Amino acid sequence: MNNPSDLVLFFGRLHPLLVHLPIGLIVLLAFLEFLARSRRFSNANANAGLVLAITVPAAWCTVLLGLLLSWSGGYDAQLLKWHKWTSIGTAASCAIAGLLYSLDLKKPYRWFLFSTCVVLVVSSHFGGSLTHGSDYLVHYAPPPLRALLTRSPKNTPVEDKPANLADKPAFAALVQPIFQKDCVSCHGPEKTKGGLRLDSFENLSKGGKTGPAIVAGKSGQSDLLRRVRLPATDEDHMPPEGKPQLTSDEIALLQWWVDTGASADKKVAELKPSPIVERMLAARSSAANSAVKTTPPKALEEVLPVSTKLAEDLGIAITALSPKEPWLQCNASVAGTNFANAQLAQLGPLAANLRWLDLGGTGITDAGLAPVASMANLTKLHLERTAVTDAGLAALAGKLPNLEYLNVYNTAVTDSGLESLQRFPQLKRLYLWQTKVTPAKAKEFAEARLDQVQLQRWQEEIDQLKAKIQDAHILVDTGIALTTPVVSSTTNMVAINTMCPVSGKPVDAQKTVLHDGKLVAFCCDDCRAKFQQDPKPFLAKLDLAQVKQAKADAGK
Amino acid sequence: MQPLSHFLQHQTRRAFFKNTGLAAGRIALGSLMFPELFRASAQTPSARTHPALPGLPHFAPRARRLIYLFMNGAPSQIDLWDYKPKLAELFDTDLPDSIRNGQRLTTMTSGQKRFPIAPSIYKFAPHGKCGTMVSELLPHTAQVVDDLAVIRTVYTEAINHDPASTYILTGNQIPGKPSIGAWLSYGLGSDADNLPAFVVMTPSWSAKRDAQALYQRLWGSGFLPSRHQGVALRAKGDPVLYLNNPPGVDAAARRNMLDGLDKLNHLAFERSGDPEIQTRIAQYEMAFRMQTSIPELTNICNEPQSVLELYGPEVTKPGTFAASALLARRLIERGVRVVQLLHREWDHHGDLPRDLPLQCRDVDQACRGLILDLKQRGLLDETLVVWGGEFGRTVYCQGELRRDNYGRDHHPRCFTMWMAGAGVKGGTVYGETDDFSYNIVRDPVHIRDLNATILQLMGVDHNRLTYNFQGLDQKLTGTDAHAIPVKGILA
Repeated sequence: MNNPSDLVLFFGRLHPLLVHLPIGLIVLLAFLEFLARSRRFSNANANAGLVLAITVPAAWCTVLLGLLLSWSGGYDAQLLKWHKWTSIGTAASCAIAGLLYSLDLKKPYRWFLFSTCVVLVVSSHFGGSLTHGSDYLVHYAPPPLRALLTRSPKNTPVEDKPANLADKPAFAALVQPIFQKDCVSCHGPEKTKGGLRLDSFENLSKGGKTGPAIVAGKSGQSDLLRRVRLPATDEDHMPPEGKPQLTSDEIALLQWWVDTGASADKKVAELKPSPIVERMLAARSSAANSAVKTTPPKALEEVLPVSTKLAEDLGIAITALSPKEPWLQCNASVAGTNFANAQLAQLGPLAANLRWLDLGGTGITDAGLAPVASMANLTKLHLERTAVTDAGLAALAGKLPNLEYLNVYNTAVTDSGLESLQRFPQLKRLYLWQTKVTPAKAKEFAEARLDQVQLQRWQEEIDQLKAKIQDAHILVDTGIALTTPVVSSTTNMVAINTMCPVSGKPVDAQKTVLHDGKLVAFCCDDCRAKFQQDPKPFLAKLDLAQVKQAKADAGK
Repeated sequence: MQPLSHFLQHQTRRAFFKNTGLAAGRIALGSLMFPELFRASAQTPSARTHPALPGLPHFAPRARRLIYLFMNGAPSQIDLWDYKPKLAELFDTDLPDSIRNGQRLTTMTSGQKRFPIAPSIYKFAPHGKCGTMVSELLPHTAQVVDDLAVIRTVYTEAINHDPASTYILTGNQIPGKPSIGAWLSYGLGSDADNLPAFVVMTPSWSAKRDAQALYQRLWGSGFLPSRHQGVALRAKGDPVLYLNNPPGVDAAARRNMLDGLDKLNHLAFERSGDPEIQTRIAQYEMAFRMQTSIPELTNICNEPQSVLELYGPEVTKPGTFAASALLARRLIERGVRVVQLLHREWDHHGDLPRDLPLQCRDVDQACRGLILDLKQRGLLDETLVVWGGEFGRTVYCQGELRRDNYGRDHHPRCFTMWMAGAGVKGGTVYGETDDFSYNIVRDPVHIRDLNATILQLMGVDHNRLTYNFQGLDQKLTGTDAHAIPVKGILA
């Protein structure tokens, strides 16, 4: 059935809800029969009839609901067929067992119950494979057991070597892994929701029930991009709420691939990379690089008992940086000079887990720094106020690929120590107060660390963005603002006053100024300047003058 | 007989089995719901003061330590940080009713017939690369303004000192809640085992008046185990009282006595299980170690002259703010989690121009010195510094207003605080108040948001650091309102 009604789907989805009831009851029945074999519990199966009266209808109901669910489609046909028939077998066998019980044929009843259990196990396994994927049960099994059960090795995604990422087809190297990770469990050969399969380029191109998933060159019209960008609460959003979601970087990558033509075999290098994609590629290659050098940390549960004991013994503090990650912070500075090379060596078992290490003011020396060189995951290292010298730094050079913070203030480090610091690729903060490093050398070091190419690229990006901002502006022209006409145009006007408002003397008719639309006359240039600077104090007199003028006019 | 053991001896067999059955069920349920509580092995009182709670920090912290410079009495934001140039024209005009808008006033000014506007007589100027406006009263702090995130829109509900200080430092106006330092000590534990996790200093002040009282609850532990309360160092004489051995008792005799006491205390603990006994054992041991660590801490002979000069001339005078600021740096260097300085007398109801400059002189240079000193040692990357009082001061004058003299009443609706250091975006000004520095126009920060921000920078989710007391999962940010960390100031 292609388009089952909502009601069918509603009942169909009750299948997973109900399915565990008959399973439990069948197992219970078998268990009761088993118990009843012993003399002490000989009446354990006394109520088996009652249980059977529930089990048989429940089993058939479950089968019925399962059939309804199967109409929604999207399941691997082969698996579904097996699940369907073994389940019907289970229900049938269970019903026969019930019949035998009611006929009081206890021995055949037990045999049928036993065979029901066997079929049940098989059918449940197929059911589980349908929901979770055929690989679910043994995916994390120990390799030998896994090999025995599936014959296929665990298909861990193979990290691309950064060097040849550019030569790989973009689809296979960048896009397909995203689909594989977050989409194929529902849009693949086993389950094909919405008729869409994302397990190969051909299937992607075919699209699904609602039409094509992508439109080459136009991410804006591609349904796939639209759906992954919808708010997670939207019904159309993919992956559905509650499932692992795509990251914004992954979405950007998909968009880039679609916009550049959604080609099946064009290589990464052939497509014009956008800045964000370039950044991601760079991050990937550096992650791959450091992954080579970095020792994987142990699980937090594994190291915490060790670290607690060590902290106790050494009188230092070691805590997890956060409960979700395996990283530890260690503050040995609180032990002062009681903490020296011998104590540092004891931190060996934690080497791969230490993220922050504070050795400030401890008794360590260059000779004891070897354990630190093995702490490849360190991001923060305090060596201030210790006997560490250039030699110590040289021993650490190149060993700490993740170090971002290094504090060596009040040590004997000199200019030549900075040479070894060139080999800490991630270093962002360096404290050199009270060392023998000269300010000139320190400045030179900082300058040399700047990635000029990167800076240049950013500058270009800024310029492009500035141009964009410029483009975004619309042109609205209101012309040049008109100013009040100059005095010359007032020649026809008559001054409103005869007495200067500043000095009180009679006015010179040539020395005027336009105020508030009226011509005001003054006795001299000085008075006019005073008025122009701040007319307020003189306005009262002006009003008076105006009144007088008005009276004079009236008298004429 | 102790009430607890009395109770234990009167348990009937039936009651015991009934309770145990229920308890076992509860433990099983608890282990399912809160697995983190069951992961750690039971802590016995040990040489280590106390480690972090299991599962803490909740996320990788930006700051390992906190220095909280509390200006008790409420500094005037209008005269220090919140530049309001338009007020100059409004000298002695009445504060518009639309601005006050029915705001509750203290009884000190509620009877006033007029609320005349008193513009600040101090000049402001932009400082640093960021150009933040700072008053001429803080010339030194102004020099490090590129390291500060100035929040101009902190607000509270309390209008009097006692409830307001209790509110901002313990999260509730009503006494009895743990202080922020106690919460951090409880959650994050202590790195040092010879100094307390939380140390408090109450430096001297210069203004010519009596100061508002301080209460021990401002650094108290409330309902948390009492070992988390702040230890106040005294300004004069012995920093910690009764730490030195009395005449005739040498170190060996003291150790001997402590060992004997320790055995007795352990016996008592085994009998009653009272956690306060553990606190007592830990505190005796701590005190013994502090006999050597405290003299070493307060001996500043080895500080280079250039460092002393950073903090200003008063740094060598014990008990001053400058001397305390230097000690604060020495304390965090030694693994102390939280250091709090409570500087008193910022309550300028009258004669503000007489007293505020004196108060600013106490703290200004030392604030800059502390930040620069932390910075050159690479410690500012891991230390959060917070500065501020319990509320702000009014734009209108309390009492007689003159061109050169005025006073200001309490003002809870907006005040300025700053943060610097780990995880803080330096050179920021956050939030905006109206032209009267009376109401918040943009980005309000309730004091519980501020506390949530401090906790977040220390790696603590304020919603998840809780302690069940009186039937509530109590937390620093309170149980009846939602606090949101201030993202705008985070680097």
